[in-house]
Amino acid sequence: MIYSDMLYFVENIGGKGLQSALSFKDAMSFSYLILARLFDRRAYNSAVSMVLLNQIYFTAVQILPLFLTAAICLSIAFVGIIGEYLLSIGLFSLFGPLLVNFMIAEIAPFATVLLIALRSSSAINAEIAVMKVNKELNTLEVFQIDIINYLFLPRVIAGIVSVVLLTCLFAVVIVVCGLIYSGFFFNMSARDYIATLLESAGFFDLIAMTVKSAVFGFFIVMIPIRHGTRATDELTSIPVAVRHGMVNVFIAIVIIEVLSLVVTPMISKLI
Amino acid sequence: MRAFIARRQRVGLVSREAPLISNLSVLENIALIGQYHGRLSRRRAEAMAREYLQRLGLEELADRRNPSLQEEQRFSVMVLRAAMLEDSVLALDRPFEMMPALGESRFIYETIGKVAETRRECHVFDYFLNERRYRRGSAHEA
Repeated sequence: MIYSDMLYFVENIGGKGLQSALSFKDAMSFSYLILARLFDRRAYNSAVSMVLLNQIYFTAVQILPLFLTAAICLSIAFVGIIGEYLLSIGLFSLFGPLLVNFMIAEIAPFATVLLIALRSSSAINAEIAVMKVNKELNTLEVFQIDIINYLFLPRVIAGIVSVVLLTCLFAVVIVVCGLIYSGFFFNMSARDYIATLLESAGFFDLIAMTVKSAVFGFFIVMIPIRHGTRATDELTSIPVAVRHGMVNVFIAIVIIEVLSLVVTPMISKLI
Repeated sequence: MRAFIARRQRVGLVSREAPLISNLSVLENIALIGQYHGRLSRRRAEAMAREYLQRLGLEELADRRNPSLQEEQRFSVMVLRAAMLEDSVLALDRPFEMMPALGESRFIYETIGKVAETRRECHVFDYFLNERRYRRGSAHEA
């Protein structure tokens, strides 16, 4: 009895492991397919450009009021906490490095990707699932319109562009909030503040932040698209597809964040 | 259908299985085919789509989306979309299923007739039980 229970337990683990491995392999081959099209000139036409512009508007422009409010609140809170704490322990000289290496390099991309994932990834997931249920993907196939080129590619590009641009905007908000806060509460002149930031900022950090944002942008759109296409012909499959997609998006965000924390210092040392 | 595939001919399909894209307007649905297959600019494709809509007297539908269309309007837009596909055969798949309230085929023939100059061939596929509805439509046409 105990032996059969253990066997069942091991089989279960093996089954789940295999399922996860297959799902990961599927996700990687789908990513490769989209990346290959990204650099194929034949994939682009006026219809794709139209979808791309719409998607950039939906993802990066419509979110601006919410995004700016969140960015200002988070920046003021973090700059205040970091500054006050460093002052209290007598290490205010680390204010610049912490602002650049923690706030700009880590918090800006992470907060940006969370906001965009909450708003746009769920919308994209639901949109593709609804199109699948309504047989609209079938329409595109019937009229020989490449689904990857027309539907997926512009959304992925818009995701990458939006996350990168909004991360840069978040970084600008952090710098401006830091300037105002340090001027008012730490009696720091603008010249000293800028000098501290410039001393702490490296070109590699900026490149790493941009690359990380682009990777975030790619996966928070690619994963919902993939799960949206997995919806069946039934309406009830839409919430299931969205739930699976969003859970996987958040797992991917955490994995990318952890990987970036491991890989970035290694590359930095090599350079 | 298999014959078209064997002849490697494009098929402009009008079917319930190929609905209009619901997040695009009527004009964009029709123009999309020209933008994709004719590599037309958006402006050129939309001008062409508007001209097609005018031909059926449906220009006021240009900015509307699929859910707000009536059955006959939806059918006409789907015919126009299929007509945008160059060098293709127009294939109507069970049109009475798209318009169950339609008693006879006159409306179907009239719609096809208005886009006929762009098509060399048009085929209608339907169940035998609808044969009488087609006969009635043909009699009116005569």
